[in-house]
Amino acid sequence: MMDCNAYRRAMMADPRDADPRLREHRESCHDCNLFTERLLKFESRLDRALHVAVPADNVLPLRAEATPALRLPNRRGWLAMAASVLMAVVVAGVLWVAGPGSSLAADVVTHMGGEPDAWSTRTPVLDSELEAVLRDTHLRLSEGAGPVSYAASCEFRGHHVPHLVIQTESGPVTVMVLVHENVPKPVRFEEGGYRGVIVPVAGHGSLAVLTRGSSTDIKAVEAIAARVQGSITWTGS
Amino acid sequence: MNDQVGGNQKRARFQALCQSLRPDLLRFAFWLSRDRALAEDVVQETMLRAWKAQDTLADEAAAKPWFLTIIRREYARTFERKRFVTVDVDELVAREEPMLAAAEEQDLAEMRAALFKLPDEYREPLVLQVLMGLSTAEIARELDLSGAAVLTRLFRARKQLRVLCGEDTGLDPEE
Repeated sequence: MMDCNAYRRAMMADPRDADPRLREHRESCHDCNLFTERLLKFESRLDRALHVAVPADNVLPLRAEATPALRLPNRRGWLAMAASVLMAVVVAGVLWVAGPGSSLAADVVTHMGGEPDAWSTRTPVLDSELEAVLRDTHLRLSEGAGPVSYAASCEFRGHHVPHLVIQTESGPVTVMVLVHENVPKPVRFEEGGYRGVIVPVAGHGSLAVLTRGSSTDIKAVEAIAARVQGSITWTGS
Repeated sequence: MNDQVGGNQKRARFQALCQSLRPDLLRFAFWLSRDRALAEDVVQETMLRAWKAQDTLADEAAAKPWFLTIIRREYARTFERKRFVTVDVDELVAREEPMLAAAEEQDLAEMRAALFKLPDEYREPLVLQVLMGLSTAEIARELDLSGAAVLTRLFRARKQLRVLCGEDTGLDPEE
């Protein structure tokens, strides 16, 4: 049986470690459970702190022979960076769909902040746990969606909704099944350190799919959303 | 004709790959160098080298560690050229204040200043793990360390960081 010091050392080295011995110790030790809660809050803050704002420049041209043009003036001033960020914001304002979905996206992102530990485990949940979470929403999820490492029924905008974390080729993604929230068309969003998409599901509200950080291309997120949507079987209205 | 179309498609895919990874690569370079201008230079040079060497990337899934290796080498080259002597952390923090400040949350600015104060050998594996999402084995390969050494550095990084941030460390484990 692992002792508290070994458990805490392991967690401080890798808070995402899904070793079942760690989970077993945590579940049997009140102090280590408390320690883990605090550590995961700290980890969430660390994650956000590392995601400093960066300028949005197009770096590479399509044609290799144009590569000399890549050499931007070095040591550009902070004004240039601010201008490029401003430009990125303007472009983003044009490219990213605004409207009713935007506030929904903001609420989804806010919800993520309340459950930072949802991202940290990679161990698949039991089928019975997943079924229990999905039952009230009248759906089943096939294995095609990928391994589900977190499943909870969460209070969101006055309803209980399934909140899942699925392990994918792009890392963990969060999926929220929002049967009470309708969006007229897909809504892309990027805020609060998350990138994602909310897609309409005919007759069943919408599906929010998001990743942490900005390393995953939005098209990859959309592909995952489509795959998850295709893995859902609705069992009632 | 087909070759040209295929080449263009390949280059377009590589360009998209670079652009999708670039924000996190810039962040990594920033935390590595603690200097925004240097980070931009390093990433720019990295992109050029990657562009020229794109045929050596056999599997796009391995792109992230591939880029990280190029960035680390490029940073080391820059470091050698410039022969930095000493680093005054307070000066660094003051110089990079616009990058570190998070007006909406003071605690993030404090965390960023604390990260600046971490020794390089602790900050780098921490950034690779948390920001870049690398596993312990991947970090070990990148830094040419054993898995146990990586875990020790990660443990010490968080331990120091928590003290620097004024966290309640009453439940923290002994060294």
